[in-house]
Amino acid sequence: MNRLRLWLLALGGAGLAALLVAACLDLPGFGGRRHPYGDRAVHASLARHTANTIASVNFDQRAYDTLGEMSILFAAVLGCAVLLRQARDEHRARPRPAEVARPVRRYALLALPVALVTGLYVIAHGQLSPGGGFQGGVVAATALHLLYLGADYSALERVRPLGVHEISDAVAVCAYVVLGLASVLAGTAFLANTLLPYGTFNTLSSGGSVPLLNAAVGMEVASAVVVLLAHFIDQAVEIEEEHRS
Amino acid sequence: MGGGDVYDAVIVVALLLVAASATAAVVQRDPARQALVLSFSGVVLATLFTVLQAPDVGLSQLAVGSALTPLLIMLSVRKIRRRGRSKEDTR
Amino acid sequence: MNGWILAAGIVLGGGGAAALWGVTTGPPARRVIAQNLTTSAVCPALLLFAQGYGRPAYVDLALLLALLGPVGTLVFARLLSGEPERERTSAWGLTWAAAALGAAVVVALCVAGGPGRAMVKLLAIGVLLIGGNLIASRALAGGFQGVRGG
Repeated sequence: MNRLRLWLLALGGAGLAALLVAACLDLPGFGGRRHPYGDRAVHASLARHTANTIASVNFDQRAYDTLGEMSILFAAVLGCAVLLRQARDEHRARPRPAEVARPVRRYALLALPVALVTGLYVIAHGQLSPGGGFQGGVVAATALHLLYLGADYSALERVRPLGVHEISDAVAVCAYVVLGLASVLAGTAFLANTLLPYGTFNTLSSGGSVPLLNAAVGMEVASAVVVLLAHFIDQAVEIEEEHRS
Repeated sequence: MGGGDVYDAVIVVALLLVAASATAAVVQRDPARQALVLSFSGVVLATLFTVLQAPDVGLSQLAVGSALTPLLIMLSVRKIRRRGRSKEDTR
Repeated sequence: MNGWILAAGIVLGGGGAAALWGVTTGPPARRVIAQNLTTSAVCPALLLFAQGYGRPAYVDLALLLALLGPVGTLVFARLLSGEPERERTSAWGLTWAAAALGAAVVVALCVAGGPGRAMVKLLAIGVLLIGGNLIASRALAGGFQGVRGG
């Protein structure tokens, strides 16, 4: 039985290796300027006035894939929130307020709004330059946690109502689906980018529904990261196990 | 364009840095030290993506790898150490 | 021959190798300092790459690194501060050298690019990079002395 299993593994591995080698032999040359898929993707993105081809691939040509990735993040954060919740034999202990050196505290308070604006800038320019909802969402969520790093956890808790972030996480996923359904109602396919005017090339309002989908993803990612980090910090700082005697 | 070799040379430099730092991260034993090497590795990985002309992926790597991943790892390390300490106290 | 790419490769190779050496060897305090200097070495390299490839959009990578790199160092400075074996050390010579590298690259790119919106962005990145670098060094040299358990 064991031997049979090994043979099966060897057969599968050899098949995979043969396919990979065959695929590698057919690859276009390293660093070449032409690529059959790339040329078509660039053509499609230019036809829809989206300057950043990657954004066009992610949120227009393959917007359905992005919906899948979004749900993976949503499910992963949901799982973490369930696993890291306060259990019955745990209690919360308020951490002592931290004393942070004044320059560090000032830097954190100055960098927070700058990082927040940068996050929004990266989300809003997703269809024009590298970046988009995911990158900008992570930056915006990280920005909030400068309050924890530069002051202490209770300062962060005051400006971060967790329930609001949980709701906005779910609302953002729904917004993405609703944008997809809107194009179904308009008579085309799910998530097809035909609903909105394509706008002027290389301006903020170009690309049809790409900026809207980007905004939904940005909101989802930012809220998801805030919720995730909230549970991690809760566990690391506040929640303590009861001492069993 | 002339002198195309310098474009390939920076790719080799970035690849070597990624390979060396990723190996170093695996070789470390202490999770906190691993997190330090991992954050370095994340930054050079983002640079590798940049020199391969994939700035979107590089931005994602930078956003996640430079502050978020170290924060998650260090918080987990702190939780585990604190738990170890409180167990010792009750004993 | 593209001088900008060459310069970026030298900064990346030299700074990266030195930071990798520092981050993998020695006591924890030295490793965190090397982690902080990673930002100051790689961010100028990213700016030089953006100029060398002729892609102004690549500057966003340097902007994000200049913002988030010091935040990453603050994470380590804060969450390693409770460790009993961690002694506070500082390497102000290296810190100022890294700040000078960042300033030199930003000035060179500003001169090459001329005045305009790109120059404002470059200057903002320079301020964030150097300020973040100095503050992170300050935090490593005892910015979180009062933090226990939090």
